[in-house]
Amino acid sequence: MDEVIRVKGLTKQFGRLAVLRGIDCAIKASEVVCVIGPSGSGKSTFLRCLNGLEDASGGEVLVHGVSVHEPKTDVDALRSEIGMVFQRFNLFPHKTVLENITLAPSKVRGLTGEQARQRARELLEKVGLLDKIDAYPNQLSGGQQQRVAIARALAMQPRIMLFDEPTSALDPEMVGEVLAVMQSLAEEGMTMVVVTHEMGFARQVADRVLFIDEGLVVEEGTPAAIFDTPQEERTRKFLSKVL
Amino acid sequence: MEQVLWFGWFRADIISEYAVLFWRGLQMTITVTLICIVQGTALGLAIGLARVAEARHSPARQMCKYLLQWPSAVYVSFFRGTPLFVQILLIHFAVLPLFINPTDGLLISGEVARDLKQNYGAFLSGVVALTLNSGAYISEIFRAGIQSIDKGQVEASRSLGMSFPRTMYHIVLPQAFRRMLPPLGNNAISLLKDSSLISAIGLAELAYAARTVAGAYSRYWEPYLTISLMYWVLTLGLAYGVKRLEVRYGRGDSR
Amino acid sequence: MNFLHKTAIVAGTLLLALGSVQAQNRELVVGSSATYRPFAYENPNKEIVGYDVDIIKAVAQKAGLQIKIVNTPWTGIFAALNNGDVDLVISGVTINDKRKQSYDFTTPYFEARQLIAVSRDSSVKNLKDLAGKKIGVVNGSTGDDIASREFGKTNPDIRRFESTPVVISELVNTGLDAAIGDNGVIAFRVQEHKQLKTVSDPSFPKEFFGIVVKQGNKALLDKLNTGLAAVKADGSYAQIYKKWFNADAPVLPAQ
Repeated sequence: MDEVIRVKGLTKQFGRLAVLRGIDCAIKASEVVCVIGPSGSGKSTFLRCLNGLEDASGGEVLVHGVSVHEPKTDVDALRSEIGMVFQRFNLFPHKTVLENITLAPSKVRGLTGEQARQRARELLEKVGLLDKIDAYPNQLSGGQQQRVAIARALAMQPRIMLFDEPTSALDPEMVGEVLAVMQSLAEEGMTMVVVTHEMGFARQVADRVLFIDEGLVVEEGTPAAIFDTPQEERTRKFLSKVL
Repeated sequence: MEQVLWFGWFRADIISEYAVLFWRGLQMTITVTLICIVQGTALGLAIGLARVAEARHSPARQMCKYLLQWPSAVYVSFFRGTPLFVQILLIHFAVLPLFINPTDGLLISGEVARDLKQNYGAFLSGVVALTLNSGAYISEIFRAGIQSIDKGQVEASRSLGMSFPRTMYHIVLPQAFRRMLPPLGNNAISLLKDSSLISAIGLAELAYAARTVAGAYSRYWEPYLTISLMYWVLTLGLAYGVKRLEVRYGRGDSR
Repeated sequence: MNFLHKTAIVAGTLLLALGSVQAQNRELVVGSSATYRPFAYENPNKEIVGYDVDIIKAVAQKAGLQIKIVNTPWTGIFAALNNGDVDLVISGVTINDKRKQSYDFTTPYFEARQLIAVSRDSSVKNLKDLAGKKIGVVNGSTGDDIASREFGKTNPDIRRFESTPVVISELVNTGLDAAIGDNGVIAFRVQEHKQLKTVSDPSFPKEFFGIVVKQGNKALLDKLNTGLAAVKADGSYAQIYKKWFNADAPVLPAQ
């Protein structure tokens, strides 16, 4: 299996604050990697560096062999291959669910109206929200909005999906429906990088778990390895607080 | 002339005597206002975008900073920081004569210049001054409107592979526009009333008509009450138009 | 009543008496639009000087009046007179019937004629030659009256401005073909701009400047007229005239 994402010595400074202090990792095709860690550890920043939403202060991020942060790179083209789901959903409030999903495919990929609509319907079916196709985001619950957000990201047929704490802003009863969608995506073979606090999901769905603390990868391994037999002291400390 | 008294004191006859001036003045005021609203909004949008323009890498980064952000910041500062009245006089007596002059105009000279100056001089100066002035204020409205849109919207759009211009056009500006409608509406109303200042350089609009009657009869109630009413009606009309726009763009209320 | 009470009453009465004496000799406020060279204008030391100023000072001295001259914009000068902000107005005001309807005038203190200013190479020889040309006047002035009567008061070719300097600027800028104004002012301004010249028209009637008081203020009017007569009688008038216009003072009618 080939490498899809390669991160080399990634550092990131916000002014004087060093948020990432040298991250190295490689993610393979169809791999599901969960990133866990305390707040302020830099895990969201790490994720956002993968699609260029954050600049790198040093080091390199390669996606399909293309450097994300180099000036010459066509970042828009790169991003159309990478889907991202945000903690706060970020649906476009002035557009219907259908319009949210069809916007990028029609403008960026040049799909015709009918083609885009067809794809949207299929995706909404997949996330179980076909009946909401003409609703506006403010008419949906949090869980529904997030599922639409996932469908929107999938509409561009990305090869990689990034999830930035996708369930952290949801009421507990809605977390399950979103995680279910994510799980079925994983089972279909999507390459996924998920920053999350849902340890149950990580244990069940992830191929690999990264524990990041204070800007460095402290420990990584299979879910069983990390959750059942953590090697590092810091890992143990963190897990004892959340499990 | 027969005196016609309303309510025992209002000399309606002096108004009707100059009715043509009021009518022409009304048309001129409406024309100037509408032209300046449209041009001012277009200019304000351009400058507003210039002020938020950013690029990630040089040389685009430097170009944005020095060619777009700085000049537009200076422009806004000047036109908001000096009185409109002064701007009108400056443009009419100092700036425009540089460009349109029978002897040595930079843009237009000769007989065409003379004709232009005499027939449209005040109109041109007034429109230019008012456009530049309102453009500055409107650019601030656009800038604030654009910056008020949650960053997450831009991030979501860019993550989908949409370019910065596309993001602006489909995601940011439509949302910002609805927020900007009330201040834009206010600006339009101010513009309508500010247009009265152009009477000082001899443009025959509403305030000019009132000044003429006041000058002829040394009476102030009649002419100024008359145009006050006319401005008020125009303002109400503008406000109504803006309200309609607000309703039209109100579907899908943003959070 | 105790001692304190008595003192209070005496003091109060004295003050009242003093006050009424003051009232009789109180300082009169003179309104003048000090943008009207050479009649009333501000010199570099910010003092108001001019022909009108010298006349009113002389008149006040002869009539035993205390005066204070206050720079009042032309647009509101009659309103100020009516509501008591100023007691009298001396500001190159031409005596005419329309104004007599609302205000009272003293006997004349200056003979005025209208004068046309045009560019040096203009072929205009008299008023009628101005047909179809763009004419600048000061709003509500005698020049405005003449142009209005000749060419129609709502004629768009008549451009009205708020002060002579602005009219002259517009003429120099070639925004106008001609300007009509009072001889004193026009001659003075044309001197400053070598590319202009003056043209007279025999039909221009002689008119007179008078000092204006609120309608019905006979007491003040009489005092001013007495003073003015004295000024004419003892040669001060001729002296002042020579100072400002370097010419012999014309004999003024007594009405």
